[in-house]
Amino acid sequence: MTSPLQIELKAVNKYYGNFHALKNIDLAVPSGTFVALVGPSGCGKSTLLRSLAGLEETSGGKMEIAGVDVTDMPPRKRDVAMVFQSYALYPHMTVAQNLTYSLRIQKVAKAELRAAAEKVAASIGLTELLDRYPRELSGGQRQRVAMGRAIIRNPKVFLFDEPLSNLDASLRVQMRKEIRALHDRLGATTVYVTHDQIEAMTMADHVVVLRAGVIEQQASPMTLYERPTSKFVAGFIGSPAMNFIEGKICDNGTSVMLEMAGAPKLDIVQKVTPNMPVTVGIRPEHIRVAPSEECDFSLPVTLIETTGTMSYVSLGTAPELSLMLTDRTVFSVGDNIGLVVDKARIHLFDPKTEQAIT
Amino acid sequence: MTSNRIQYTLLGIAVIFALVYLFPLYWMYVTALKSGTEIFAIPPTFVPNEPNWGVFGYVWEVRGMGKFLWNSLVIATGTMIITAGLGTGCAYVLARYRNVWIDVALFLILMLQVLPASLMITPLFVGFSQIGLLNTPRFAVILAVSAKAMPFFVILVRATFMAVPGELEEAALVDGNSRVGAFVSIVLPLAKNGVLVSAILIFMQAFGEFVYSKSIIQDVNLQPASVGLNAFMGPNTIEWNNIMAYATIYVTPILAAFVLLQQRIVAGLTSGALK
Ligand SMILES: Nc1ncnc2c1ncn2[C@@H]1O[C@H](COP(=O)(O)OP(=O)(O)O)[C@@H](O)[C@H]1O
Ligand SMILES: [Mg+2]
Repeated sequence: MTSPLQIELKAVNKYYGNFHALKNIDLAVPSGTFVALVGPSGCGKSTLLRSLAGLEETSGGKMEIAGVDVTDMPPRKRDVAMVFQSYALYPHMTVAQNLTYSLRIQKVAKAELRAAAEKVAASIGLTELLDRYPRELSGGQRQRVAMGRAIIRNPKVFLFDEPLSNLDASLRVQMRKEIRALHDRLGATTVYVTHDQIEAMTMADHVVVLRAGVIEQQASPMTLYERPTSKFVAGFIGSPAMNFIEGKICDNGTSVMLEMAGAPKLDIVQKVTPNMPVTVGIRPEHIRVAPSEECDFSLPVTLIETTGTMSYVSLGTAPELSLMLTDRTVFSVGDNIGLVVDKARIHLFDPKTEQAIT
Repeated sequence: MTSNRIQYTLLGIAVIFALVYLFPLYWMYVTALKSGTEIFAIPPTFVPNEPNWGVFGYVWEVRGMGKFLWNSLVIATGTMIITAGLGTGCAYVLARYRNVWIDVALFLILMLQVLPASLMITPLFVGFSQIGLLNTPRFAVILAVSAKAMPFFVILVRATFMAVPGELEEAALVDGNSRVGAFVSIVLPLAKNGVLVSAILIFMQAFGEFVYSKSIIQDVNLQPASVGLNAFMGPNTIEWNNIMAYATIYVTPILAAFVLLQQRIVAGLTSGALK
């Protein structure tokens, strides 16, 4: 990537008292990139975002925005815009006043304010609502106002903290596209926090997976999906989640024996130390139903969930195995079905360190 | 038993209590209008036979109520300004930060609220006299009453500030405002009702203040109406109608203000900042 860095974090640490909330965070975001911070609740996503905005004081490390050291700068000097999960619209101001709040602080002339508000409102479909108060808006409209308030400033960086989590499912899918389109149109640099890996995968150029204050892995969405470096990332990215089965590498080092009924053997493409215990990761979409003579193993069906486009099938073994099919299922609960695993897409993890074996 | 019946019964009890509570007020008004003999008539009359409206003008003149009420006004206004000016900032800090020291501060503030004025007056008097504050006795009373009223104000206003979400302020900070700017343009407007109502309650409380004024202000010309009323009620008083007329003139403006503002007061105390 050749574009200059818009955000650079070096060994950023954050303590809340004795609690170590962010541990040595290193992050480099080229200008124009859409970065998603993803991870389970409580892993430190909001803390990292708020540190970038200057709302939290960091306990160590360095933060640069557009080449300027902002580590000790108050929020107002950082020139970043933030969209909060609660939207944080000013309840005593109309939509237009909410949009132009930052401009009024910069002492922009009155005449220009209305024009600026109208321009932004038109670009995100708020024109009719400029004179309403936040309490008179629906959730989706409030969300747009919060975005408009960020856009109008033309900031160096956009920060989003779970902006879609209060919207219903269909609106969420639509806003996902709109936010990404907006990012592209503005040529903005965006850091987007979410606990929803689908949002992260669909929207971002670069996904940072956080776990308990540590960056577990950061890469493009497809790299995370295809080459997770740990069991945690493998299980977090992808839906339905990856199946994990304990196993042991055979004497030859090129196949693995699964610890389940019938002790089936799977060939693997990589070469691994013989007799090593491993955790085998297989994504539900990489298992296929096959006639019994060519299958790797067979298992009884315990549950079939159909959405119309997809079927999610659970198979009775311990722990339960799931698979995802796009064609119509021709079997029913209780049937024993033969299964084939896509060998090239098997993931192996060290059961102790939970790191990927490569 | 229908729930309707219970409701009416409860309402009836409430009305009776309200009447009992308000009866002295009513008695003040009618006594003011009665003649000297009618006041002591047995059985008492509930509506004056020949209401004497002239009593108010007479008492105002004779007792020099203009200057008493002016002094009350000065003390109440001064108290309100000092309490609201200092207390608002204090309440804001106590609302926004959470740690052990804040808890200690809150506890001390509540402690202050418990101490009665009659207990505090002696040390205050000695202290004030030593630093020469007794030369400006009304100001001394303003300080003393402000200190007494502060905890009440801080506790009320703190609750109002706590109802304003912190994220609004953070949004303002990120939008480019300073802490002070965010407080003035976001937090204060949203907490306005609560602050105003609390300030008005402090004003009313200070307008009726007696203990500190009585002890600290010796000069009759600087005394508030409460002390003036007390001086009017000597041990052998028989002018009950005049005293009641004085009391009427004193409390009616406050009562009127309260009735006019009561909707806002109730709303400000219960609804929090956001609607
Ligand atoms: N002000 C605070 N004081 C103490 N601990 C906090 C504070 N804010 C957040 N934490 C802790 O830091 C961790 C990360 O929080 P947060 O960044 O909000 O997580 P999330 O990834 O869900 O946004 C959590 O365990 C939370 O309990
Ligand atoms: Mg969060």
